[in-house]
Amino acid sequence: MTDDTDTTDERTDGGETGIVPPDDETPAWSERKARKQGLSRLTYEYFERARREDQDLRQQSSYVERDVLGFPAWPHEMVRNLALTSFFVGMIIILSATLPPHIDAPANPSSTPEVILPDWYLYWSFGLLKLGFLNPELSLLGGEKLMTDRTYGVLANLVVVGIVAIVPFLNKGSARRPVEQPFWASVGVAGVVFSFTIAVLSIKNLVPIEEGLLNDLTFLLPIVAGFISYAVLKSMREGYMFNLNRRYYRLRPPK
Amino acid sequence: MSADEDKYPSESGRRRFVKGVVGSAALGSVATGTAATIEMATSAAGAGGGITEYFAIENTDGPAPRGMPIVPIEIRNDNEIHGVWPEPETRTIQGQEVTVAETDIGGTTYSTTWYQYCGVQTYEGIQPDADQDNAFRSTGGTYDWQDDVDDGSVMTLDMFDDYEQWGNGIGRDGLGKPAVANWRSEGDVQTIPVQVLRSPEVSKMIDGEGKYSSLSGDTRSFLEAATQDDVMAWLNKCTHFCCVPGFKAFGGSARFGGEDSVYCQCHQSIYDPFSPVKRTFTALPRSE
Repeated sequence: MTDDTDTTDERTDGGETGIVPPDDETPAWSERKARKQGLSRLTYEYFERARREDQDLRQQSSYVERDVLGFPAWPHEMVRNLALTSFFVGMIIILSATLPPHIDAPANPSSTPEVILPDWYLYWSFGLLKLGFLNPELSLLGGEKLMTDRTYGVLANLVVVGIVAIVPFLNKGSARRPVEQPFWASVGVAGVVFSFTIAVLSIKNLVPIEEGLLNDLTFLLPIVAGFISYAVLKSMREGYMFNLNRRYYRLRPPK
Repeated sequence: MSADEDKYPSESGRRRFVKGVVGSAALGSVATGTAATIEMATSAAGAGGGITEYFAIENTDGPAPRGMPIVPIEIRNDNEIHGVWPEPETRTIQGQEVTVAETDIGGTTYSTTWYQYCGVQTYEGIQPDADQDNAFRSTGGTYDWQDDVDDGSVMTLDMFDDYEQWGNGIGRDGLGKPAVANWRSEGDVQTIPVQVLRSPEVSKMIDGEGKYSSLSGDTRSFLEAATQDDVMAWLNKCTHFCCVPGFKAFGGSARFGGEDSVYCQCHQSIYDPFSPVKRTFTALPRSE
């Protein structure tokens, strides 16, 4: 705080702590990644300009921002943490004391339950193991399959996880909302729908749809959903642009 | 000698030498310690497995890699259904004494290694010299008709008297009467599940009648020796993930074409009990 005496203008009180006020770390317009496409560029510039105007207003005001970023771990945070911890430990003790323990009879080794499934959030992977119908019987091998159905199912998992991992590299994502990039948004929609249909496929023994139809729907529904969302998003662009302009100029009328 | 003078300059090679000795000693002791820990914490791999040729009920659909092994049966005391368990003998194989139980059934070498998969190889009853008799004992819960039979009572021929007409609304009636049983599992040991089926198709298969005319001669001679009074049996462990399937046990099997076959409800594998085939697999070693 030695510089305090030299300072004439208003400034924050954290001059030497190395804490940088948020405004200093936001890059200038020119430093921002250049948006090349029309709509996303327009959107971006509008939002950026609005942000800049807000920033200018903040700087003009006489309010002194204090950069208190948190409370000390001891005692402030620790007292709060102890209170929360004792609450939950108490809940556990009360629940374990009041609820009677439940232990099922031992499993019958001579029978497996009729319905046997993994947890629901693993259905998609379980469904990928049931893609034996896509495993081609190659005439080159005399009608034999190149790999067994179970190897095929495991490889299908690798393919899906691989695609999920690759997509962020294919599209670096300058868009912030689906309408700016309808193609990638519809790819995402197709992926979400596929994760649902493949989960349904995994419980095909319970779904009252004929097996062949279910197999087809599993792969066709995501494509259909992708096309529909592409069409919808494409047609939403005009309205979105109009809305953007209207809101912008209502809030900040041209000078 | 001044305090900051190096007593062992690097030209002398002394430090490099000491680092080498200390480092190799450390690495060596880590390796020895790891080996000793693993040796202490794990049990020996066991013996008595290997490549085994066996007769199976064919796997016709689903992810299972091969069929389930047929259990040869014999009728004792005119009525009781027993599985065949060969007399154990000790042989020296590759310098190791191994207990082997195998015999010739209809020209095929029948060995208890047929059942050494899916963890069954660790069951007490699968040891060739286990203190167990070979009767099939009833286990209820799967078929309604077995609710009238006491659990653990020995399966007898007369329980299957109506096998030529029997049906439970799943698939076609008259294909045979199935039962769930356990085998060599008396006492506080793990249960070896077995399915027993008395079916008029069994004698047709042996005679090679109709659609069974394509069965090979050694298959038919094996069946003839391994079945009796139309009763056949197989180890009821799906070769895929070791679930317990069932013949005409699950209504959902009709959607996968398994209503007249053995259907595994976990991953929709289907086995055809009326299609005995010779298969090969690698039997896992029994635990000692």
